[in-house]
Amino acid sequence: MSGEGFMNGSDRAAGRSIARRFPGSLQLKNLRGYGLAILCVAAALGAALLLRHSNFRDIAVSLFLFAVATTSWNAGRGPAVLAVLLSQICFDYFFLPPIYSLNIDKSDIPSFVIFASFASLVSWFSAKRRRVERDLLGARDELKTVNQELARRSAALEASNKELEAFAYSISHDLRAPLRHMAGFAELLRKSGEASLNEKSRRYLAMILEAANRMGALIDDLLAFSRLSRAEAHYAPVDLEQVVQEAMTEIRQDLNERRIAWKIDSLPQWYGDRSMLRLAMVNLISNAVKFTRTRPDAEIEIGCRERQGDRVVLFVRDNGVGFDMKYAHKLFGVFQRLHPQEAFEGTGIGLATVQRIIHRHGGQVWAESKIEGGATFYFSLSKMGSN
Amino acid sequence: MENLGRILLVEDDPKDVELTLTALDEYNLANEVVVASDGEQALDYLYCRGKFAERGPENPAVLLLDLKLPKVDGLEILKQLKADGKLRMIPVVVLTSSREERDMLTSYQLGVNAYVVKPVDFHEFVNAVRELGVFWAVINEPPPGSASKH
Repeated sequence: MSGEGFMNGSDRAAGRSIARRFPGSLQLKNLRGYGLAILCVAAALGAALLLRHSNFRDIAVSLFLFAVATTSWNAGRGPAVLAVLLSQICFDYFFLPPIYSLNIDKSDIPSFVIFASFASLVSWFSAKRRRVERDLLGARDELKTVNQELARRSAALEASNKELEAFAYSISHDLRAPLRHMAGFAELLRKSGEASLNEKSRRYLAMILEAANRMGALIDDLLAFSRLSRAEAHYAPVDLEQVVQEAMTEIRQDLNERRIAWKIDSLPQWYGDRSMLRLAMVNLISNAVKFTRTRPDAEIEIGCRERQGDRVVLFVRDNGVGFDMKYAHKLFGVFQRLHPQEAFEGTGIGLATVQRIIHRHGGQVWAESKIEGGATFYFSLSKMGSN
Repeated sequence: MENLGRILLVEDDPKDVELTLTALDEYNLANEVVVASDGEQALDYLYCRGKFAERGPENPAVLLLDLKLPKVDGLEILKQLKADGKLRMIPVVVLTSSREERDMLTSYQLGVNAYVVKPVDFHEFVNAVRELGVFWAVINEPPPGSASKH
């Protein structure tokens, strides 16, 4: 009975999206709905007449209700109203005495009203159900699209990660080899030509060697940096004070005879990747040590500025040479340096490393400074891994 | 030097070969070095095949192995070697440019005896190669069946 006009979910969704684009096909769809109404009522009428012919009684009302329900279920409100009207006319004409006339006896009016109300109720239910279904289907389609997009992106991300890894590997292996050859053969040249080389040539050779070694250091630093973002972080409870102590132990080995007044406040227990946080601390503290080198009385302070719920802000302060705040935005870039190589050595990867570590801990890093007035580096940490 | 073990150097880059031989030569370790310039040659040598079919049956005292090699790469050689009952005793030192943790991990998992990253600085490189040569070809007692100069 409901054969025509019934479509499965995706057909319907497709039909809707076509209807949205082409108003003409919307009308066609409506026409099909009304057609369905007529067909259903006609089928109900046929069945009712047939049953009456076989001496079954009082079946017509149920059959017409069935027709109305089928129509409103499959074709919506307009066709449902048509089905109700047609049903009433057919019922009146074929089944209510006087038969084969559209005259209505006064006593039949309540049954018409009840029929109409019941039919409206059915239509209302099915209209509601249609709306819910449409919303659900829409949500499902949307979810499907989002899922596909997500899958596509994660595949792309994976591919680009693989590519990055291959790239880093290739730098590690292929770039270092020619560098080693440069340094090696320059050294051999210096050795074999020691007697015949003049002062100038020897100086050139020294510069080639220095450049090769510096490039080696740059490659190593860049690789360590890229490894840092690929490495998996292991978040766990950490004692920040202990992290600072460990960092200090690492740095003290290179301090020689430096006189530095250390001031280390008490620091809270926190959450994070211990070795990464230590690396960040080593970088910040060794920077402070480096840039206070020209001070006869270097002072370095490490402390906690604020602690609020899930956020803590630590700082490393020194009284070193500082920097011009107008270059502050360049501080954390890879290979960015604000001091000449002759004054303060370094590859310019330290603060970039710090920033990456702090970002991975859901925090921020920033600095305040004055030229010749010392510098303070702040970083915030959220509680990574506390859940 | 007495009792000098034979070194099989597996290295595809002629410049690296020259630098390594120079470093070994400073300590007179270079004349017992056999060079294989790709993985296939290295395997040919180890299995006495191809142009090494006529060589004596002794194993080298140590294998200095680069990882990135044409045809058969270093890790593959290492895998085959350590799976072979006769060859698995040969000490293998990976001598590579790669500082990648993955390579190091795989090498050790495959049973490498040492892993050395070639330093960029020439002095460090010479020191590293010399110490390797002295240790494996002179100080270390190689497993039975290794070639040595008496």
